[in-house]
Amino acid sequence: MKKMRLFTRVCLSVCLILFTAINTWAAKEIKIGVIGPMNFTQGQGQWNGALMAADEINANGGIQAGNKKMKIKLIKADSNEFISITDAASAMERVIAYDKADFIVGGFRTEAVLAMQDIASDYKKIFLGCGAASKILCDRVEKDYDTYKYWFRVTPQNNIYLVKTNFAFLHMVATTIRKELGIAKPKVAIVGEKQVWVERIIGAAKANLPKMGMEVVGAWRPSQTATDMVAELAAIQKSGAHIIFTLLTASSGITFAKQAGELKIPAVMVGINIEASKETFWETTKGNGNYVMTISSHARNVEYNELTKPYLNRYIKRFGEIPTYTAGTYNAVKILKQSIENAGTLDSDKVIPEIERYDEIGPGGRISFNKSHDVKWGPGFITSLGVQWQDGKLLGVWPNQWRASKEAPPLTYKGIAPFKLPPWMIEKYKK
Amino acid sequence: MIAYYTKTLYSIIKNDVLVLPSRMLVFFFIVAIICLPVVSNDPYLLRIIILACIYAIFTASWDLLSGFTGQMSFGHAFFFGVSAYAAALLNRHLHFPPWASIPIGALASVVAGLIIGIPCLRLRGTYLALTTLSFPIILLGIVHAFPDITGGELGISGLDRICRSRIGTYYIVAVSMLLSIATMWKLTSSKFGILLHAIREDEIALRASGINTTRYKIMAFCLSAFFAGIAGGLYAHFMRITGPSTLEVALSFQVVIWGVFGGIATIWGSAGAVFILFPIMEFFRFWPEFRMLIFSFIIIFILLYMPKGLLPWLRDQVEKECPRCKKKNISFRKTCRICTATLG
Repeated sequence: MKKMRLFTRVCLSVCLILFTAINTWAAKEIKIGVIGPMNFTQGQGQWNGALMAADEINANGGIQAGNKKMKIKLIKADSNEFISITDAASAMERVIAYDKADFIVGGFRTEAVLAMQDIASDYKKIFLGCGAASKILCDRVEKDYDTYKYWFRVTPQNNIYLVKTNFAFLHMVATTIRKELGIAKPKVAIVGEKQVWVERIIGAAKANLPKMGMEVVGAWRPSQTATDMVAELAAIQKSGAHIIFTLLTASSGITFAKQAGELKIPAVMVGINIEASKETFWETTKGNGNYVMTISSHARNVEYNELTKPYLNRYIKRFGEIPTYTAGTYNAVKILKQSIENAGTLDSDKVIPEIERYDEIGPGGRISFNKSHDVKWGPGFITSLGVQWQDGKLLGVWPNQWRASKEAPPLTYKGIAPFKLPPWMIEKYKK
Repeated sequence: MIAYYTKTLYSIIKNDVLVLPSRMLVFFFIVAIICLPVVSNDPYLLRIIILACIYAIFTASWDLLSGFTGQMSFGHAFFFGVSAYAAALLNRHLHFPPWASIPIGALASVVAGLIIGIPCLRLRGTYLALTTLSFPIILLGIVHAFPDITGGELGISGLDRICRSRIGTYYIVAVSMLLSIATMWKLTSSKFGILLHAIREDEIALRASGINTTRYKIMAFCLSAFFAGIAGGLYAHFMRITGPSTLEVALSFQVVIWGVFGGIATIWGSAGAVFILFPIMEFFRFWPEFRMLIFSFIIIFILLYMPKGLLPWLRDQVEKECPRCKKKNISFRKTCRICTATLG
């Protein structure tokens, strides 16, 4: 009987020790939820960026939160937000309430991110946005700071800055046309997919491009998934446009560039063509996408600073492709590390002031936040790149001597290549 | 007095509820819904059940129109979206509290039901289905055309909560669901329900009998729109955002899938389907790559082997009908519990 009692006591003691050990071990982890459309490129980029940052931090011993050294544990949360907003909100609540995430990074579709933002605020969890561009998300912070202070946008630049960047592209291209072809007032044809976000950009382009010395000859609105755009191209050619300002985020970007290349339309394509920022674009268009220019976050030839090259090399080696802008979760995790270490705690209310004070150089440029918790844009901060396909290579061509204002010094990143007009366009217009 | 009512309740439960598996299931389901927050107050679990309750009202409202009356609606998201937007606009711009904006939103949905119902009266089958499909798309166009009012593609966000606490919200939504389903079920088993059934089976015969089928069809549209509107309003205030996703074609098809899976023309079947499929989809979150695939397989399997729907099939397995009095009996009984006739 005595032996039995002793055995029971030993068993209980072992259980207690194990339980305490497991708890202590578990407490040494910082859980970061990565939420996004994981079955799509955007979500994959978010996961890859966060994974790379977490592995780097863990390899160096983790995050020093006060007197504890804690490792990062990432939690993958598929928001399915392209298909269901309900799913996205449930995924957010699950990652916080069930998986017990301490911080969250990601989000892509604005309508879904708005719902996620409310949930993160309810739980007082810091949510670093890495996908949705709408300004409204940060306006909420300014309007109701106490409720929405948990939100910060790390990437991309907001939609207002996106328009400014594209106008800077157009300015550069128009200047090149004036200089090389002697056309004083280049004509611009706008091709924007049939989506609401395009409406406002078209309105802004019609109002501002004439002031920038360009003439808008018309706007064409194909479907996002158009498989034949010869009719639009024929009309654009007939309009005598020199620049085609593209606003295409889906597969129509491939169709348009491919058919324009096949028909050798004497105009250069500039603007947003998300498909053209992928390295598979050359193969997909069978080389017909030559000289297409689009916005992107990285190019193999461009270094924002000394951190860019090693980051790109590591990313490409690990994932076999260049990072998309949603891989900005890499920066988000690094921001969290720095801020937690400065605050010495995981308490959101103490970490927030540290993120607000954050001002560090990352592989994509200097990261710092404004009053509305939006990432700062402009020379010296985050700018993104203009990239152009030149004979099978995707090269960064903007900013090249770009001045954000008349007084600002010109900005050119290391490795930027000169922008080129298509030879068939030069052939047609060169006097 | 209390003793009398307790005795009556006990006698009803013993003699009417606990005699049939389907009734027992409904009874335990109601008890489970009421007691869930006592057992667990996990906010994630409560969220799933709240959403299931909202979609159950929505699916049952589709069943009322398409299942019972045969007015096939492929654009049921229209009613859901109209009410969600109406509630959101009232709450955001006129500061109506949810207890006012939700019913007014549902009434806006009834008006939308009239707008759809009247032009659709002459249409049947595929033509009606395609016409109803077009309405949410038209409304989506209107939403995008007036972004200053509707919020455009971003929708209207920052709506008031139904209730400050999650448990409070849970009980409001759960009770709304139970009342809505019970009302719809009672309606369909009344004389009105028989008329709706008859419209679906043989409208010409009904008209020949002097029944104004037009009136009943419009009433079906309005009632269905009202309950879909209740669901839409609850959804908008629970999610605290209303956007174009409430009008998406995918939502209209989702409700058809739930309805057919659970068994059309039953009300309880289509509502029950939501409580099976919605949590299943959440459960498969651990396997995100195959989530939709598994969902599709389940649906195809059920449609192939249980064409009447899962819940009616299950009911047929455990209950059989008396050939004489047509009352249901538990399958292992040899004689009818009402008329004592021999069961086959």
